[in-house]
Amino acid sequence: MIRYVAVRAAQALGVLWIVATATFGMLRLLPGGPFDREKALPPEIVRNVEARYGLDQPLAQQYASYLGGVLRGDLGPSYKYLGRDVSDVIAESLPVSLQLGAAALALALAGGVSVGLVSGMRRGRALDRGLVMLSLLGVSVPSFVLGAALILGVALYLDWLPGGLWESPAHVLLPALTLAALPLATIAQLTRASVIEVAQRDFVRTARAKGVPERVVRRRHVLRNALLASITYFGPLLAMLLTGSFVVEKIFAVPGMGRFFVTAVTNRDYPLVLGVTLVYAALVVVANLIVDLLYAWLDPRIRVRGESE
Amino acid sequence: MPRLIRLCLCSALLACGGAPDDDGGRVLRFNLRTEPPTLDWNLAADSASFTLIEQLMRGLTRLDHDLRLQPALARSWEASEGGRLWRFHLRRDVVWSDGEPLHARQFVDGWRRLLDPRTASEYAYFLFAVRGARAFNAGEFDATRLGVSAPDAHTLEVELEEALVYFPALVSFMATYPIRRELIELHGDRWTDPENWVGLGPFRLKEWRHEYRIALDANPLYFAGRPWLDRVVAYMIDDFATELVLFEQGRLDLVELAPLEIPRYAGRPEYRRQPLLVGYYYGFNTRRAPFDDVRVRRAFAQAIDRERFPQLLRGGEKPSASWLPPGLLASNPGIGLAFDPARARALLAEAGVDPERLEPVVVGYNTNDPRHKLVGEAVQAMWSENLGVEVELQPREWKVYLKQLTVDPPAVFRLGWVADFPDPHNFMELFTSSSANNHTGWADAGYDALVERAAREPDPDERVRLYDEAQRILCERDVPIVPFFVSSLNLAVAPRVRGLKPNALNAYSFEEVRLD
Repeated sequence: MIRYVAVRAAQALGVLWIVATATFGMLRLLPGGPFDREKALPPEIVRNVEARYGLDQPLAQQYASYLGGVLRGDLGPSYKYLGRDVSDVIAESLPVSLQLGAAALALALAGGVSVGLVSGMRRGRALDRGLVMLSLLGVSVPSFVLGAALILGVALYLDWLPGGLWESPAHVLLPALTLAALPLATIAQLTRASVIEVAQRDFVRTARAKGVPERVVRRRHVLRNALLASITYFGPLLAMLLTGSFVVEKIFAVPGMGRFFVTAVTNRDYPLVLGVTLVYAALVVVANLIVDLLYAWLDPRIRVRGESE
Repeated sequence: MPRLIRLCLCSALLACGGAPDDDGGRVLRFNLRTEPPTLDWNLAADSASFTLIEQLMRGLTRLDHDLRLQPALARSWEASEGGRLWRFHLRRDVVWSDGEPLHARQFVDGWRRLLDPRTASEYAYFLFAVRGARAFNAGEFDATRLGVSAPDAHTLEVELEEALVYFPALVSFMATYPIRRELIELHGDRWTDPENWVGLGPFRLKEWRHEYRIALDANPLYFAGRPWLDRVVAYMIDDFATELVLFEQGRLDLVELAPLEIPRYAGRPEYRRQPLLVGYYYGFNTRRAPFDDVRVRRAFAQAIDRERFPQLLRGGEKPSASWLPPGLLASNPGIGLAFDPARARALLAEAGVDPERLEPVVVGYNTNDPRHKLVGEAVQAMWSENLGVEVELQPREWKVYLKQLTVDPPAVFRLGWVADFPDPHNFMELFTSSSANNHTGWADAGYDALVERAAREPDPDERVRLYDEAQRILCERDVPIVPFFVSSLNLAVAPRVRGLKPNALNAYSFEEVRLD
């Protein structure tokens, strides 16, 4: 198990190095630099600004000093937000994205599993058909449409909840719901399918034949086995909730990290783009690592295979 | 599992923090739209930072809402040697927000820091007129030879390289404000954090939640008296629809309307409009055919029907065939080439250009503002209709576009100019041969000489005459650019807000604002 973890961790570091290098290279290939302005600057001022950020050095040297910085945990200064380090910018905005992601994750898991269970148990009835329709809607409506619809309906017309900002628990509900809609619907579909499948298995029939009460059959036999399918989905889901929040953060004016994905690129704020990309890459890598380990823990067959290799 | 879910949900909801600031006081909330890159006035170079510094700080002089120059920290000033030497007399009752009295030396410190190459300030060139400033900024000698000194606590003396009649207007600009050098040395980049910050304006920096909101509190030590408002909160909401929903819900008092939202608000009592000193023009790349021929440029200019732009954009655009916008000295609507399709076709024929055989004319614009596409399509239709030429629109991402303009501008390109200070020189200097902002490739020694003479001319009537002559060269004789219109600021202001007076430089102070 330890060797398995060590190999996976080394692979993860390699992935991060490739991400950092590729992002560095692609950014420099983009036309237009961080200090290109509508009002052109006199040449001596351009020289001063470039010298301040080391942009007057050869590219190889810039790359080396950037990588060196990253290894020391220093992501460099932001070019756009003067006097702030990229680490500061991320330290302030990442927790907000994580809070939003966690709230959405909770909603998606709680809602998705419940809907899937109810739907699967009542297969073919009106309630099931309604829930299937709803989850189809959840999968197909993009978050910018759903977000706008919620703002218009719940905030503007009903005036039940604020249409944006990040001040109180009430401000979390609409963005979290918007972000959770797609995974919630997906989990509901997965759970429903596996409930239906598990319910027809021999051990369930045996349990019923032994006279086990229906409540216990559902909880102990059907639910537990049906949940495995959702856990498979947990890894990509975690990554999606953490990285997919850009649109939702923008629509609801949530001060998270997602917005830098776009604004840092349009500003050509090289260190910020690199920092944000690296952090997200690390999150995705870690999420996948956790899921792999979770599998190994849940399903002994994977662990045995992993160790024997 | 359910317990885990409950735990997640609770922690997520509790962790959001930040109580709503509905504390019942005199609080004004507005949308700044983006995070200000800095509140350090030596370094600020963007409108979000400027809007906040306007509330937080004051300089020697100040432009009021009619752009008249008013005394601020300086109570008076006088020039000698025809405008080469300037002496500013400071008010004696000014203290910083920490109680420290204002000293003329703090201006000297500020100007040295602004011009120091290590500061790397983008607006250092604002003081390039000061003796030795440019060389100091280029790292050629030290700050002690800079032409600025403080003979006593309340007098500031400035020596310029050459006479400059509009110098007092230049020092209304934020980059030239005084600084507290000892505090900047003590805190480094962190001096603009709320706990370290000091200033001289009507408000003080209270809270800064990056990417989210900034709160300013009334400054009881402000020299012109504490403002009526207790607090101003600036939010950074960059989604147009969201900011309007919050405005409609009464959670924002002031929103700058996005171009495409203006028609929805025009006619409502919340709608306010203020013409700006912002020119919108199309430039020609005069280095390449067919626009190396002045007749072709005139033909294309006379095929533009400017009246269509305000109908299309509906943001209070004022069509203008001349370059200096209304509100500036020497603005003259009588100058410029009027819409005349017949004359335009004749000019094109005279230049020997057959519209049928002409390669499609490329028109470049940037995509970060949806208006540019609308204008581009309108121009495409006008040139096709009035001249019979084919036009190819070339949209580009903003930074890519800026790079393209400096390396190889398209045949026709869109640009605008936002005034830094309300003097015609700021607009006219743009198209001199040495200007880095002149992407047309056009250079004219006569134009350069006129603009340079006008900057030194103390007599306003003579200045107007010189600028008229220069504008005729620019907009009638050589036509490297075609001015289209002057833009307006479009605001939605909650009915309870009184006393908000934006000026044509898009500056507004909340100093005099009251709430009903």
